[in-house]
Amino acid sequence: MQVERSALLQDRKNEVMISVQNVSKHFGQIKALDQISFEVKCGEILGFLGPNGAGKTTAMRILTGFFPPTSGKVWIDGREFFKDPRQAKRTIGYLPETLNLYPDMRVREFLKFVAELRQVAGKKRRSHLDEILSRCGLWNVKHRLIGFLSKGYRQRVGLAQALIGDPSVVILDEPTSGLDPKQIIEIRSLIRELGRERTLILSTHILPEVSMVCDRVLIINQGKVVASGTVDELEAGLKEQHQIYVAIGDIGKKEDALNLLHSLEGAEQICITDEKAQEVGFSLIVPKGLDLRPIISRLFVEHQIPLLEIRSARLSLEEIFMKIVVDETRSGAAL
Amino acid sequence: MKNSWVLAWKDLTSYFRSWTGVLACFFFLVIAGVFLSLLVISFAHLSMEASRGPADSFQGLGLTRFVFGSFFLNIGTILIFLVPILSMRAFAEERRHQTLELLFTYPFSDFEIVWGKYLGMIFFFQILTLPILFFVWFVHGLGLTLDWGPIAFGFLGFWLLGCAYLSLGLFISSISENQVISAIVTFGCLLIFWILEWVAGVADGSWAHFFAALSPIRHYRDFTFGIFDMSDFVYFCFFNLYFLFLTLRAIETRNWKG
Ligand SMILES: Nc1ncnc2c1ncn2[C@@H]1O[C@H](COP(=O)(O)OP(=O)(O)O)[C@@H](O)[C@H]1O
Ligand SMILES: [Mg+2]
Repeated sequence: MQVERSALLQDRKNEVMISVQNVSKHFGQIKALDQISFEVKCGEILGFLGPNGAGKTTAMRILTGFFPPTSGKVWIDGREFFKDPRQAKRTIGYLPETLNLYPDMRVREFLKFVAELRQVAGKKRRSHLDEILSRCGLWNVKHRLIGFLSKGYRQRVGLAQALIGDPSVVILDEPTSGLDPKQIIEIRSLIRELGRERTLILSTHILPEVSMVCDRVLIINQGKVVASGTVDELEAGLKEQHQIYVAIGDIGKKEDALNLLHSLEGAEQICITDEKAQEVGFSLIVPKGLDLRPIISRLFVEHQIPLLEIRSARLSLEEIFMKIVVDETRSGAAL
Repeated sequence: MKNSWVLAWKDLTSYFRSWTGVLACFFFLVIAGVFLSLLVISFAHLSMEASRGPADSFQGLGLTRFVFGSFFLNIGTILIFLVPILSMRAFAEERRHQTLELLFTYPFSDFEIVWGKYLGMIFFFQILTLPILFFVWFVHGLGLTLDWGPIAFGFLGFWLLGCAYLSLGLFISSISENQVISAIVTFGCLLIFWILEWVAGVADGSWAHFFAALSPIRHYRDFTFGIFDMSDFVYFCFFNLYFLFLTLRAIETRNWKG
């Protein structure tokens, strides 16, 4: 069955699976989502990245049909979601952010209940359940009470629940929050594996998780999409820039060095980043594709400034994220 | 509608997974049994005295009316304590386990969820009331002649009253943060409905009519007398529909953060 699915996905690789257009959600005065639009392709793993309160959960709740948006439209697999929510919900599996499940039910019994609710045909139910139990590593605990499972195992039950009925889209809200490092690693590898056969959306406020798991990232802040692209695209440079760091070994030549740097074509945001004893460090932002390092080192040698270090630093995803979020918040506050 | 059955079945079994269900059954049966025994014993006393004294003073007061009329009226009062315990779990429990959010994303409508929850409670209530038939059979086995009509109506009335109370409890559960609040508020509301009958007794004129019309006990009383009045039946249907509707509204808003 797995093979079939992967083949099917290959065929539909470039089709749009989910399309969100100008969706807003207001809670009274609070605009939890403000005119967001994005698309997800078949078989893609999309990450929602954003600080707490950004609107990730709200966006996912709309995508799962938990509540309708205040305005805007959602299409799943070519059909408008809220015209026929029942049909749309069949194509979607969801793992909410916090989930305790029924502590007094046994793992298999609970999954069977879900299978009945998700209308898995009676004949297929048995084998379907067995397959999901073993894929999620729950085979050995299938007769245990959910209340007695560890948080990591409970999360697996939550994940298993989202897979029942073989939905083509799976949505996971902060699937690794509250787990210990070992459990996080296990759940992440499970997610990666699941992503091979279906369209997957997951939200997180942890950066490394995005680069580890996702094909594409959507950065959300204060209810708006502030950036989107593959991890590489985002890392390749915010606004097509990168950073150069220069350190000299003579504090007396500080002014000379600054003047030289200012005289360079294309260099921006030149500033002193650190000063200790005789050492001074500078940083400057240059457009991508313009490498000023050879020129800088030649100029400094010509002017007898002792050059200690010169390196180019790519802005990391973390810096991009911080920059976007901080910039946005600042401009939002200024308005 | 099949989904409602699945949900109802899960809720029904969940009563028996915890002690709630078993204890509720146990206490209900013990108390109902004690009531019935007391009534049968006092009837025996009365009829003995009657046979000794002037003949026809108790002729009009039949066994069925005396024993089962009072019996149904009394166990109606037990419901005020029982229903909050049965209904508190319905939504408050799902909310606590955060499973309500899951249910809302499964492929069925809000109405099916409400209906499933309601059916689950009714099924359990059904199981609870079945032993009453055994009580009837037992009294019959004592060699006493019973009038079956009033007993059937009494039973129907009791069942309708239970369903009505449960629908109220379901609504309270759907707007409560947790089980304890749900149980307390439901108990309070049932108490108010119960008191309406007294209010109707002391009020006068059209107010008395008004409160009597609202009081579930007034309508139930007719059933325990073996009287079937269409207006009583309609009253209970409306009571149920009204609270089911409110429940549906309450869960449609989804106004919690979770
Ligand atoms: N039911 C609700 N009622 C009122 N405000 C809400 C509700 N749900 C979310 N919010 C608000 O919407 C914003 C986005 O929340 P959320 O989507 O949960 O963020 P995230 O999941 O990214 O942390 C927050 O400011 C939150 O307080
Ligand atoms: Mg969230």
